[in-house]
Amino acid sequence: MPKVLKLSQGVQEGTKELLRFLLSEEKVKGIVTLKERSPQQGMGYSLITNPQELPNTRPLYPLMPSNAGKILSHLTLKGPSPQPLAVVAKPCEIRAFIELAKRAQGGVENILLISQTCPGVFPLQMSVNGGLKEKLSSYWKSAQKNEVFSEIRSTCKGCVDFIPQNADIVVSVAGSKDSEKECEIFLNTSKGESFVEGIKGSKAAEKEITNKQTQELLDKRKEGRKKMFDQVEAEKPEIEGLVQIFGRCIGCHGCSHVCPICYCDLCFFDSQQNEHLPQTFERYLDLRGGLRLPPDTVFYHLGRLMHTSISCVGCGMCSDVCPVDIPVSSIFTKVGEAVQKKFQYTPGKDIEEPVPSGTYKEEEFKEIGEQS
Amino acid sequence: MKGTTLPVEKDLNQTLIDFLKKGLESGGFDAVLLPSRVPSGDSFAYLLIKNPSLLEEATPLPPVMPVQGAKAVSSLTQYGKTNQKILAAMRPCEIRAATELSKLKQAELENILFLSLDCPGALPLSDYLENPREKDKVFQEALENRKTESMRPVCQVCREFSTTTGDLHVGRWGAEKGRVFLISSSEQGKKIQETMGNQGDQSVDSWESKVKELKEQRLQERAQFHEDLKTKAGGPDKLLEFFNQCINCHNCMRACPVCYCRQCYFDSEAFDLPVDDFLKRAKKKGSLRLPTDTLLFQLGRMSHMVHSCVSCGTCEDACPMDIPVAQLFSLVADQTQKLFQYSPGRNREEPLPFSVYKEEEFHEVETPYRKTYSKGEGKNA
Amino acid sequence: MSEDFKPKIIYFMCSWCGTGGSETASAHHLYYPENVIPFRVNCTGAISPLHLLRAFVEGADGIVISGCHPGDCHYNDGNFRARRRVASIKSILDSLGLGADRVWFRYVAHGEGKRFADTAAEFNEHIKNLGPNPLKERKET
Repeated sequence: MPKVLKLSQGVQEGTKELLRFLLSEEKVKGIVTLKERSPQQGMGYSLITNPQELPNTRPLYPLMPSNAGKILSHLTLKGPSPQPLAVVAKPCEIRAFIELAKRAQGGVENILLISQTCPGVFPLQMSVNGGLKEKLSSYWKSAQKNEVFSEIRSTCKGCVDFIPQNADIVVSVAGSKDSEKECEIFLNTSKGESFVEGIKGSKAAEKEITNKQTQELLDKRKEGRKKMFDQVEAEKPEIEGLVQIFGRCIGCHGCSHVCPICYCDLCFFDSQQNEHLPQTFERYLDLRGGLRLPPDTVFYHLGRLMHTSISCVGCGMCSDVCPVDIPVSSIFTKVGEAVQKKFQYTPGKDIEEPVPSGTYKEEEFKEIGEQS
Repeated sequence: MKGTTLPVEKDLNQTLIDFLKKGLESGGFDAVLLPSRVPSGDSFAYLLIKNPSLLEEATPLPPVMPVQGAKAVSSLTQYGKTNQKILAAMRPCEIRAATELSKLKQAELENILFLSLDCPGALPLSDYLENPREKDKVFQEALENRKTESMRPVCQVCREFSTTTGDLHVGRWGAEKGRVFLISSSEQGKKIQETMGNQGDQSVDSWESKVKELKEQRLQERAQFHEDLKTKAGGPDKLLEFFNQCINCHNCMRACPVCYCRQCYFDSEAFDLPVDDFLKRAKKKGSLRLPTDTLLFQLGRMSHMVHSCVSCGTCEDACPMDIPVAQLFSLVADQTQKLFQYSPGRNREEPLPFSVYKEEEFHEVETPYRKTYSKGEGKNA
Repeated sequence: MSEDFKPKIIYFMCSWCGTGGSETASAHHLYYPENVIPFRVNCTGAISPLHLLRAFVEGADGIVISGCHPGDCHYNDGNFRARRRVASIKSILDSLGLGADRVWFRYVAHGEGKRFADTAAEFNEHIKNLGPNPLKERKET
C-alpha cells in the first residue's frame, strides 16, 4: 500500500509546491510540465530548470497539447537521462512513455513520474476558441464531486485507466472531495518516497489509491466507454462502414504524427513502398472505371490500426488533431481493447512485460491454423 | 484567347459534368481527374474516372478543398507520364501547385490536361464539416451572387482566381446570363474543342476585361490585407504569439502540395539530441518549450517552399489549432516571389528561383566594404 | 546599448576564400573580436537557409557570410547561389519584422586578411548598435 503525503494547500497549489520543492532542493534538474505560454492563451509542455518559472506552470491543467509520452521519448531517445528529471503527466501519457521505452524509444531511468487520478481533459479545439477557461471552475467542481464532466473529450469519458499504475507519485484529483483545501499525494514507489523526503507536510497512514470513489467513477466511465463503442458500432465498421467513416480523410497523417505509439521515423504509408507507377494506376482504372487519388485512405487507417492497436493507450490525441473530425480515437480504442484482450496485455502497465508482437509461446493460439 | 460558350441550365457543376462526359465519349481525353463527393456525403476527394456513369456523382467545383489537387496529380505521375490522356478539372491554385511539382520532379504533366475555372474561393473546411447541407447552399448562393465573404480569408484576397495555366478554362465572369465561357488556353485545349465539335474561336473579350477589372480590385485588397497582417504578426513577440498554439503536429506540412519531401528535416534525426543538450538549452532561459523548435519549423518550412507557395490555404484548413498559417505564408510568399520576379505555376518552363542565378543581380545584399576600419596592424577594433 | 553587451556572431566562411582570408589575417597578426565565431563550410553555396535560421532562432545575434569574389568560386557558382539564398532569407526575415540587417553577405578573397578582420570588427560594431537579437531573448521559441 502506498504511503500518503498531505499538503495543506489546494490540489493545484500543492502540486506546484511539490514541484518547487523538487526543483529548488535540487532533487531534480528539470521538470517537464504544462506551462502557460502567454497571458492570453496557449498551454504547452515545457522543460523547466529555473524555479522562477514555476508560477506559470499548470501541472494539472485539463488539456493535452501533445502527448507527454512522445515528448519524453524525444528527450531520452539518445539515452536515458544522466540527471534526475521529473515529469507531470496524465496517466495515459505515462503509459505511452512506458510503451515507448519498451520499444527502445526512450528510457525511464532517472525520471520521476508524477501523475494524477485523471478527471479527463478538454478537446484541444476548446483551448483555441477560448471556451475552455470559463469551463474550468465547473470542471474542478465536477472532479470533486466525482462526476464525468460533460465537456471533456469523448475518449476521456470512456477512459477506464484513469488511475496511474506506474507513476512514482500520484496526486489525487478525481473524486478528491477536499481538493480545494488539501492536496493528497500517494507515494506509489520507494523512488517516489525518497524524492519527497524533507518536504513540509503531514504523512498520513498508508492507503489504497482505489477506493469507493474511484470505483464509482470507474462505473461511470465504463458506461461512457460502452456508449462510445456503441457509436462506433452504429456506423457498422465493416468495409462499407469504414469507407463511410474514413471517406473524408484528407491524408494529412496528423493522427500518426501525434500518436505516441507511432514512432517510426518514416511511416510505411509515406514510404516508396506505398507509391505506384502511373501504369499501375491506369490498370486499376481500366478494371474499375474509377479510383481515388491519392489512394489507400482506408488502407492507411487499417495499417495503422494493425501496427499500433496492441499498444494503443487511448490518449485521444489522434481525434484531437484530425482536421476533418473523424472519430479516430474511438475506433482505435475499441479495436485496441479487443486486440489487447486477446493477448492479455495492458499497454504501459509493466515495463518488464514484453510487447506481444515481440514474443511468442509455443503453446498458444492453437485455435488458429490448426484445422481439424 | 478564344473560346466558346456553354449553356448553364441546372447549375455549373452539371454543365461541366455534361461537358466532361461528352469529352470522354468523343475521345477528347481518356479519363478525368476531378473532385467527387465521398460516400458519407460530407466531404470531397479526387477521383480518377474513366467510366462516364461515375461522373454523375462528381463535383467539378466543390465548396471546399480538402485535398489539394496537385497531390492527386503527383501521386499519379510521380514516376513518369501516364499513357492515357487525363483531363484534370481543378481550381487554378491546384493547377499552379501541380506545375510547381512538375518543376520539382514530383509530377510528369505530359499527358495531363488541365481544366481550370474562375474560382469563387473555397469555404473553410471546418465550417463546412459542421453542416455540409447548409454550407452547400451558402456556396451556391455565393457562386450566384459572386460574393466572397463566406470564403476562406486567403481566397478572399486571391489574385490568381482566374489564372489560365491549364489547357481549358471555364470563365464565369463577363458571360451572358445562363452561359459560361469555355476558353482554350493552349493548343491542346483547342484540339479538344475541335474533337468535341465546339466552335472554339469566339471572342472572350468581355471575360478578359472583367477579369482584369476584378484582379486590380483584388490586388488592392490583397495589399491592404497583407499590410494589416504585418502589423498583427510582425516582429518577434507578435510572431511568437501567432504561433503560440502550435502543437508541432506538422499537419500543415503534410497537407501542403509543395512540401513533397519524403522525410522533412524537422522530423529527422537532426533534432534527436541527448537529454543533456535539452537541459542545457532549457537552462539558458529557465524553460524550454516542448516539443522543441516550433518557430524554427515554421520559419524553416517557409524558407524551403515559400518561392513555390501558391497560397492555396490547405495548410490553414489542416491546422487543428486554427492558426492562420496560410495568411502568413502568403504575405511572405508575395514579398519573396516579387524579389525573384517569380510567380509559382505561371509557366512550366520558368526555372525555380534557387535552381538558377545571374551574375549581375542582388547586389543590394552584398554589404559594401567601406574600409572604415583600416587602422593597420595590431588591435584595430 | 549597454557597453557590456557582447554579441554572439556566427561567421560562415567558405573553406577556400573566406577561411583563407582569416588565415591571412592571422598571418598578419590582425585582430578581430573574439565573440565572432568562425564557422567553416565547404562552399557558401552549401549553406542552407535552415542553417542560418537555426543559428538565428537559437541564439546568434548576427550572421556574416563570406565566400569567394564573383568568378572565383572553386565550384564555379556557389557564391552566386548563396547570394540568392541570402536574398531570400533576408526577404523572409524582413517581411516578418525579424531584422534582416542582422545578416551580412560580403566577399572575402584568400589574400584579403584585412578585409576579413575589418568585416568582423565592423559587423560586431553594427550588431552592438542593433542590440541583442530579440528572438534569442524570447522563451517560447
